[in-house]
Amino acid sequence: MSLKASTNLEKVLAAGQFALTAEIGPPRGPDAEVVAKKAALLKGLADAHNITDNQTAVVRMSSIAAAKLVLDAGLEPVMQMTCRDRNRIAMQSDLLGASALGLRNVLAISGDHQRAGAGGKLKGHPGAKGVYDVDSMQLLSIIKGMRDEGLQASGDSLTSKPAFFIGAAWTPLGPPKDFRVTRLAKKIAAGADFIQTQAVFDVKAFAQQLAQAHDQGLTEKAAILPGIIVPRSAGMLTYMNNNVPGVVVPAELIARLKGAADPKAEGIKVTVELIQAVRELPGVKGVHLQAIEAEELLKEIIPAAGLTPRPQV
Amino acid sequence: MITAEWKPIPELVGYLRGHQKVLLLGCATCVAECAAGGEREVETMAPLLRMALAKEGSPVEIVTGTLERQCEPEFIEPFAPAAEGVDAIMSLACGIGMQLLAERFPQIAFYPGVNTTSLSLREAPGLWTTRCAACGDCVLGETFGLCPVSRCAKSLLNGPCGGTRASGSCEINEDTPCIWNLIVERAKVRGQLDRLGAVRRPKDWSNSPAGGPKRMLREDLRP
Amino acid sequence: MAAPANDFQPQITVLYCRQCLSADAQPFEGRRPGQGFAAQLVLLPCSSKMQVHNLMRILEKGVDGVQMVACPEESCQHLVGSLRAEKRLNRAQDLLRQAGLASERLGLHRGQGLSLESVLELASQRAEAVRPLGPNPLKGVNR
Repeated sequence: MSLKASTNLEKVLAAGQFALTAEIGPPRGPDAEVVAKKAALLKGLADAHNITDNQTAVVRMSSIAAAKLVLDAGLEPVMQMTCRDRNRIAMQSDLLGASALGLRNVLAISGDHQRAGAGGKLKGHPGAKGVYDVDSMQLLSIIKGMRDEGLQASGDSLTSKPAFFIGAAWTPLGPPKDFRVTRLAKKIAAGADFIQTQAVFDVKAFAQQLAQAHDQGLTEKAAILPGIIVPRSAGMLTYMNNNVPGVVVPAELIARLKGAADPKAEGIKVTVELIQAVRELPGVKGVHLQAIEAEELLKEIIPAAGLTPRPQV
Repeated sequence: MITAEWKPIPELVGYLRGHQKVLLLGCATCVAECAAGGEREVETMAPLLRMALAKEGSPVEIVTGTLERQCEPEFIEPFAPAAEGVDAIMSLACGIGMQLLAERFPQIAFYPGVNTTSLSLREAPGLWTTRCAACGDCVLGETFGLCPVSRCAKSLLNGPCGGTRASGSCEINEDTPCIWNLIVERAKVRGQLDRLGAVRRPKDWSNSPAGGPKRMLREDLRP
Repeated sequence: MAAPANDFQPQITVLYCRQCLSADAQPFEGRRPGQGFAAQLVLLPCSSKMQVHNLMRILEKGVDGVQMVACPEESCQHLVGSLRAEKRLNRAQDLLRQAGLASERLGLHRGQGLSLESVLELASQRAEAVRPLGPNPLKGVNR
């Protein structure tokens, strides 16, 4: 199979290895060293690192710049791009720029609405004019068109084709549940090479959705990496269960963390178990691991899950 | 209908401060239906503004009127005498009516009394919800008669984002349904879920407000 | 500008639903002086006859307070009339607050089988509620 962008992530997947991606949130400031420090912390732990694009609609260092800093630090970035802040002209321009800077993994998502404002923790910019010129599906098709045809969305030609390994997000357990697999199929048809999912806590429910995707052959067309968020307390799980759309946390898991003498240690144990559980599912090609605001935990979890050292491909 | 909402009262007071005599004009069409700029609202706002201005020591005489339709010149004309001798006009019509009024009396200071907000349906008494974004490229034929351009916070055309809540609401407002959730429901009722399976191409926004001011011309109707 | 509190005789307009009165009470419309205030009684067939703009109009004429008297929610002859009256009053109060004016100048009481004296007592209570505010600053300013 010929590679599309020959990124480390793509090669790991092509080699049939269990892939691991993690997340690096850019800082709310211009500090390159903050990014470098986070990168150093995660070096050697994951195959690629998602660089979020103003997540929760809060202004942060641009994903393109932070991704370049991560690349310079010797890690592989996955540059996220939302549909909230750019029209198709800016998107394509930024994609060309990203390619020129050596960024090859890109993940297209709708993005949190501008009213999200960090869930109320910060002011954010709720008065901003959201763009939403194209949706994530259309962005995927635009990136694919640039890469495969050397064409812009309009049909105008590019001087050369940017190589991208294209990612998309999937919320398997969000309503309307019986459309979510179709939506996955659409994303893959539009251009997604790999899929990172919303956090999975209810492995059984996830497995049911995944089985449908598997039966439709979707897991062969794109590499599916279930999202795993490191739980740190029962309160955090309850909050996510109640407030984060598409996240379903089984009651017994919340009870387990509640009853734990050391919730942090228990959370790490749970994470390792979740990784192992999803790894068993047919069609799962890796995991996307997030330790929100506690990246240092990854250093402990990843070896504990038997995922180190990372494959050299 | 076109919906509008009163501007914050301190903003209105700020506009009128220092004027001598103001004509406050409502419109009996859309803005009356949405209880922002009909006769009742004019007759509520006028005393309120008179009181607020008098209280701060800058009383302003406010005369009132409500036109059948502020967006038609022939309805505006009868109010020309009322505009005599006023040094400001404040309109409670939509932005369309407002501008025709301002155009008719260019020598008089003009102020908006409302913000024009949406093309909405009166869904229930006292509740108006958006139905149209005037995007100039209607997709209702592909979305089972439910508009994702105006009713999805992200104007998504290929299905719901990951933000649909368990209740079926939009991630940004618990009281607003995820329109894609409803589109999928209706597709299922019609037994045509497969029709939502094709990837919809990027939309042509050139016939929407993004494409610049609209100029619609019909030669057969021209004088 | 405000007169000394002890000289202030609040002018209270009472808008009362005739269904609130007891069967033997004599409906009364017009002016009634009270202890330290004066009431203007207006009889309504239903409290819902009163709209937001009516309340504004009364206030801008300079009265110091408006007391509405409506039926209990469950015994409104027009089923939702007194509920509407309350919602309208709330709306009017909200608008007054937004305009920097005293919302306490408006009040609503629900009652049934009332005597005329008890209606006047409600006017007295409204008078006491507005007394700390002083006279309506609009008195004499507007027509």
